[in-house]
Amino acid sequence: MNEKDLRTIIEQVLAEMNAGGSAPAAACCAAPAGEASQVEEGCIPDITEIDIRTQYLVEEPENGEEYAELKFNAPCRLGIGKAGARYKTLPQLEFRAAHSAAQDAVFNDVDEEFVKAQGLFIVQTQCDCKDTYLTRPDLGRKLSAEAVATLKEKCKKNPTVQIYVADGLSSASVAANIPDLLPALLQGLQSFKIDVGTPFFVKYGRVGVMDEISELTGADVTCTLIGERPGLITAESMSAYIAYKATVGMPEARRTVVSNIHRAGTIPAEAGAHIAEIIKIMLEKKASGTDLKL
Amino acid sequence: MNYLHEVILSVGIDIGTSTTQLIFSRLTIENQASSYMVPRINIVDKEVIYRSEIYFTPLRSATEIDAEAVKRIVREEYRAAGITPEELKTGAVIITGETARKENANEVLSALSDLAGDFVVATAGPDLESVLSGRGAGTDVLSKQRRITVANLDIGGGTTNIALYEKGNLRGTCCLDVGGRLIKVDNGRISYVYPKIQALAKAHGIEVQVGDRAYPEQLYGVCRLMAAQLAQALHLTAADGQHAGMYTNDGRALPPQPAVQAVTYSGGVADCIYQKMENDVFRFGDVGVLLGKAIRADPDLSRVELCQAAETIRATVVGAGTHTTEVSGSTIRYERSKLPIKNIPILKVSPEDEASLETLKASIIQQMPLFTPEGKAEQIAIAFTGEKRTSFAEVQALAAAVIKSAKEVIQGPYPLIVVVENDIGKVLGNALNVLLEHKKDVICIDGIKTLSGDYIDIGEPIAGGQVLPVVIKTLIFNS
Repeated sequence: MNEKDLRTIIEQVLAEMNAGGSAPAAACCAAPAGEASQVEEGCIPDITEIDIRTQYLVEEPENGEEYAELKFNAPCRLGIGKAGARYKTLPQLEFRAAHSAAQDAVFNDVDEEFVKAQGLFIVQTQCDCKDTYLTRPDLGRKLSAEAVATLKEKCKKNPTVQIYVADGLSSASVAANIPDLLPALLQGLQSFKIDVGTPFFVKYGRVGVMDEISELTGADVTCTLIGERPGLITAESMSAYIAYKATVGMPEARRTVVSNIHRAGTIPAEAGAHIAEIIKIMLEKKASGTDLKL
Repeated sequence: MNYLHEVILSVGIDIGTSTTQLIFSRLTIENQASSYMVPRINIVDKEVIYRSEIYFTPLRSATEIDAEAVKRIVREEYRAAGITPEELKTGAVIITGETARKENANEVLSALSDLAGDFVVATAGPDLESVLSGRGAGTDVLSKQRRITVANLDIGGGTTNIALYEKGNLRGTCCLDVGGRLIKVDNGRISYVYPKIQALAKAHGIEVQVGDRAYPEQLYGVCRLMAAQLAQALHLTAADGQHAGMYTNDGRALPPQPAVQAVTYSGGVADCIYQKMENDVFRFGDVGVLLGKAIRADPDLSRVELCQAAETIRATVVGAGTHTTEVSGSTIRYERSKLPIKNIPILKVSPEDEASLETLKASIIQQMPLFTPEGKAEQIAIAFTGEKRTSFAEVQALAAAVIKSAKEVIQGPYPLIVVVENDIGKVLGNALNVLLEHKKDVICIDGIKTLSGDYIDIGEPIAGGQVLPVVIKTLIFNS
């Protein structure tokens, strides 16, 4: 059901309610204030909007100003006061909100419409659902037979660089970063006049699936943009894993990583431009991971 | 990013009212980000490795610097230190105090910066001098570590440069005509009096004339008046009728807030403040010793804590040699063959004008004629913060706006230079390159804060090409 349908149904229900009970509603409004529940304009503050670097809640501190200045340097849950031995209500709620965001990032799927809007088609690993994905890491590193066939059909053969996006452990990360990260990366490669293959999206993908993709497409460099395991500071962090001529079974040390890509870390657009340069160096030096000195 | 650190050599040369000095220092540059993150390259250590002797600044006449003699000093000190200009990656030549008012100051500066090394830049101006001496004296670090507001007073021969720091952040600078050599003494007689000081003394009933016998008690009285002016400059006491006229070139005063809690002193007179000097008070042929004594005894200046400066007479030269260079952000875009570039005026788009792309374009178009005298495009750098324009689409729109409004630069012979504060240098540089179809050299750096009226120097890449050394100069002379 899309939003429009939902809206139509709600409008219908409301209309029916009004038709049946317009008189009592009027009576309610006429009642003296205080007796009936009141409807106010406005919203409950969104606690996830709070920048915890600026949040200092200790009562009667020795030197709160200094603590607050120190705290501004890092998003840590310190200086948030306490109620007896426990957290205060607000930090407790913030903690749970952050934890929920992390859980959502792991358990939700990336919106397929969103992926298509980025110009990406979708293939899947051998995982059939999220549970399998989380419990069977090995299957997240292998493409399904259908995926292999699709890639063979749709992808440009032997490109210099193959880029793809994977959900990894954070669907929120894909939604938050790809609209800036991917075009900036493609533009960077374009400005270096480096040939790029057909980009796509891998559902239930782990980092290791890049090795099979590298072999399949015959790319010199393969680069995956993948959601990082979320934490309590951000659920939107993304990494780029990049390897020169990746092969199935190669040592992990052959991957070069750029991590911490999100709006409060390395901003995605700038990260894209940076990754393009790393790829350029990788192509020149014909090496990646610990073999490549950047 | 596996590279650990790189050491570069820097020189500082200070040609002041009374002394000329030179230092060499080692700047250590390191990537402070972990190996799987985008590099974050900073200057992590600064060490002075060679200090020259302190020379009297050679003058050919009252209005002219003896350029040849200055060059000789520089050449000999390079030889004594065993350092060649080719080894120097950065540095600054600074003309300070009254010397900056000499007729051939500019000429001497450019001659020296060529002699000193490829990317040794020439600079002057009282604001910058205040900042450099404050940093050289270690006042910024002191105020940061102790979390207090500290002023450094760099008291030289001709001027006193004040820089005010609150918890490590610069809060204001000012420059007064107060110095040790504004009255000179030769053979027991006054041989020179700076007119402003003469007027200050006269306003308080003290007559000092060239040719008069130099009485220590009388000149101490004049020095007490100068010390009182310094206390007024720090807002430790109310300004008197003469105070407004004491600022160099009708410059401005320090802001009244934050209130100063401690002071450090640097410059030639500083040693006369920190140490008691007895015997012949005119041993330097001036009133420096008396001025130091007057400052130490001033009741208003004594109300704030006196802290030891890290450098005294060498504060400015150490500041010039070790604290002028910063490094750009490590994700930037540039054309190596176009570097280094020096003395580029900055066309700054104000934060208010940056709010919309329309006002940004209008701001660049309006300011452009200031930088294109007689319609001829000169090399300029366009600067803004880039704040809040971080999405890919916004960066593209920003690049398009810059290209549209900077036609003169794009059609002209010089590269397009863009300087931003926010970390978008590389993606913006790419966008400019692609939009210009690679037909124009683009230098786009980030991590650099600029103000309208600044000049920028950009050196050759360091740290494996990841960053560029940058010197921002606040004004070339105070005119």
